[in-house]
Order: sequence, then structure tokens, then C-alpha cells
Amino acid sequence: MIDLSRSRRLLAVLSLLAAVTIASGCAKDKVRYGDARGVETVTNEFGSTDLQMIAESMTRSMLGAPVVAGGNLPIVTVQEVKNKTSEYIDTRAITDSIRSELQKSGRIRFAVDAAAMQQQIEELERQQSQYYDPSKSSEVGKMVGAAYRLEGNITSIVKQVKDVKDVYYKFNLQLWNVRNGLLEWTDEKEIRKTTTKG
Amino acid sequence: MNRTWTIIALLVAALATGCGTKKGFEKPGFSFGCPIGDAKVSSMDDLVKSKVVYEGKRTTIQATEMRCTLMTGDLYKIDVNLNNDSSQVKRINYKFRWIDREGMRAWDEESWKPLLMYENSNIPVSAVAPTNKAVDFRLILLGQE
Repeated sequence: MIDLSRSRRLLAVLSLLAAVTIASGCAKDKVRYGDARGVETVTNEFGSTDLQMIAESMTRSMLGAPVVAGGNLPIVTVQEVKNKTSEYIDTRAITDSIRSELQKSGRIRFAVDAAAMQQQIEELERQQSQYYDPSKSSEVGKMVGAAYRLEGNITSIVKQVKDVKDVYYKFNLQLWNVRNGLLEWTDEKEIRKTTTKG
Repeated sequence: MNRTWTIIALLVAALATGCGTKKGFEKPGFSFGCPIGDAKVSSMDDLVKSKVVYEGKRTTIQATEMRCTLMTGDLYKIDVNLNNDSSQVKRINYKFRWIDREGMRAWDEESWKPLLMYENSNIPVSAVAPTNKAVDFRLILLGQE
């Protein structure tokens, strides 16, 4: 009798184990498309919403700057945005978004920046080879220099006490006149994110 | 007789001036500086109702005031006052939608911007149009409650 009850128990446990194994094997992660422009609050690290807010805010502010609003199509080169925070932030993604919006507005033209200069030179040199028709290829020595340069930085202040973590970001962008060194425009965007456990 | 006609003309001019908005004469198709097209807008409430759209979860936060101005470069600048008259902190997302002369979208859909509103508070929200093709707009509010 005792043996029978023990074997029934063992059978029940084995059946349960088998069921769990099968169930976990059949369970699949569900993938769905989300809203690329939605507010993202997965963690309090720098995220897509922060990038979008910064890019939009800086772009709209710059469109009102006298040097841009004047309609003279200033030529700008994008320089480095320094990451002064303690986390990894792809600042290039921010400046790419800003450049994209400004270019679409039709009020600014962009000259090739330092990061892309090597590729620009390689392409120009490639077109000087004997394989290209000189009348239909780009000549060396005709690049247009930027009259203004865009640079900036992003800083953060992080504070944590027990169950609360507060992160404050400040993004600063400046437009400098290359010829005379004057600051033509500057603006800041501040963001605060707070995580509370429980 | 001439004097009578002069008085009548002056009265008519005075009436016409009085019929203008409180801020003076508004150009036809504008109210508080904001484009209204053919819509009948006679007050700030009417203007706000015609420009604010609620999407998703309804919010108790209301837009109470709205003003527009044309900046250098023919870009619209919009100022909207949002009011939270409850005794609780509220969160909403907002964005602007820009419309061109043909009634179509003048720009890509903006990203949602989160906003925290303290209890019994007013927050001004500003926006500058991304293009001078934007001749009208809508403020979209999405509740987070």
C-alpha cells in the first residue's frame, strides 16, 4: 500500500515536470511593433524619447535664430557633442536627427564634417583616376567651407536614495561663427526622469 | 444736411471699431493671431475647442488660452496655456500637428512629449512650426491617467 502511494506521488511529480518542460518549450516571445514616437519609460537611462525631444527642441529654436531666419542659407558643419554623463549616449544620433530636421526645413545647408571628411576625400581622389571623364567628375579644390559650426554637450546629475533614483539631463547646443568666433545662437534642453521602486 | 451725414459716418466708424476684437482689428481668418480659416470663432474658448484634439485616454487637463504669432521667416509660434485644476499631480503627453494650405500634413508627425503638471497649476507650452508651409495646427493631448 505504501509503495503504491509513493509510486503515485512519483508519477504525479514526473507528469508535472513533463508538463512544465513541454509548456516552456512551446512558449514563445511575442514580438509586436510599437510606436517609434511614443514615450518610452523602460528605464531611466537616456532613451529614444529624450533623443527626440532634444532634437526637436534644438531644431525649432535654431530656426528662429537671426542667422537662420534671415533666409541666407547659412552653411554649417556639425562638430562634436561631448558626452559628459556617466552613461553611454550616442551623441552622433542626436546631431544626425537635428541635422536631418534642419536640412528638411530648407533653411540651412550642411558642409561635410570632420567625421565624414575622409570618405569625402577618398571619393574625390577616386574620381581623379583615368577611368573618369574629367568633364563629368568632381574636381579637387572646389569644396565649400562652412561659415558656422555646431557643437554642444550633454551632462547629467544622478541622485539616488533608497528606492528613488533621479536623473537630470541638460543638453546644450551652440552655433559659432567660424570667421569671427562669435556665438550666433545657443539653447538648452533639460530633462528629468525619476524612478521609484515598488 | 452735410453735418448730419458726417455725424452718421462717424457713428458708423465708431461702431465698426467697437465690433473689432478686444485686441483691435484681427485679420480675417485669424483669432488671437491664430489661423482659423472659415471657422466661426468668437472667443478664446471657441479657438481652443477648434485647435485642441484629444487622443487615446481622455485627460482632465484643459487648454485654456492660446495665442499665435508669425516669426521671422514666416514660421508660426504657438503659445498654449494648459491647466490642471485638480488636486492631484497629472501627467499628459502632447504634440503639435502641422497643416498646410491644402489641409494636408505639412510635416512629419512629431514625437510625443511628456509633461508633468502639479496640482492646481498652469503650464505654458510653446511650439515653433518646422516649416513656413505650416499655416495651421492642432494641439494633440494624450492622457496618462
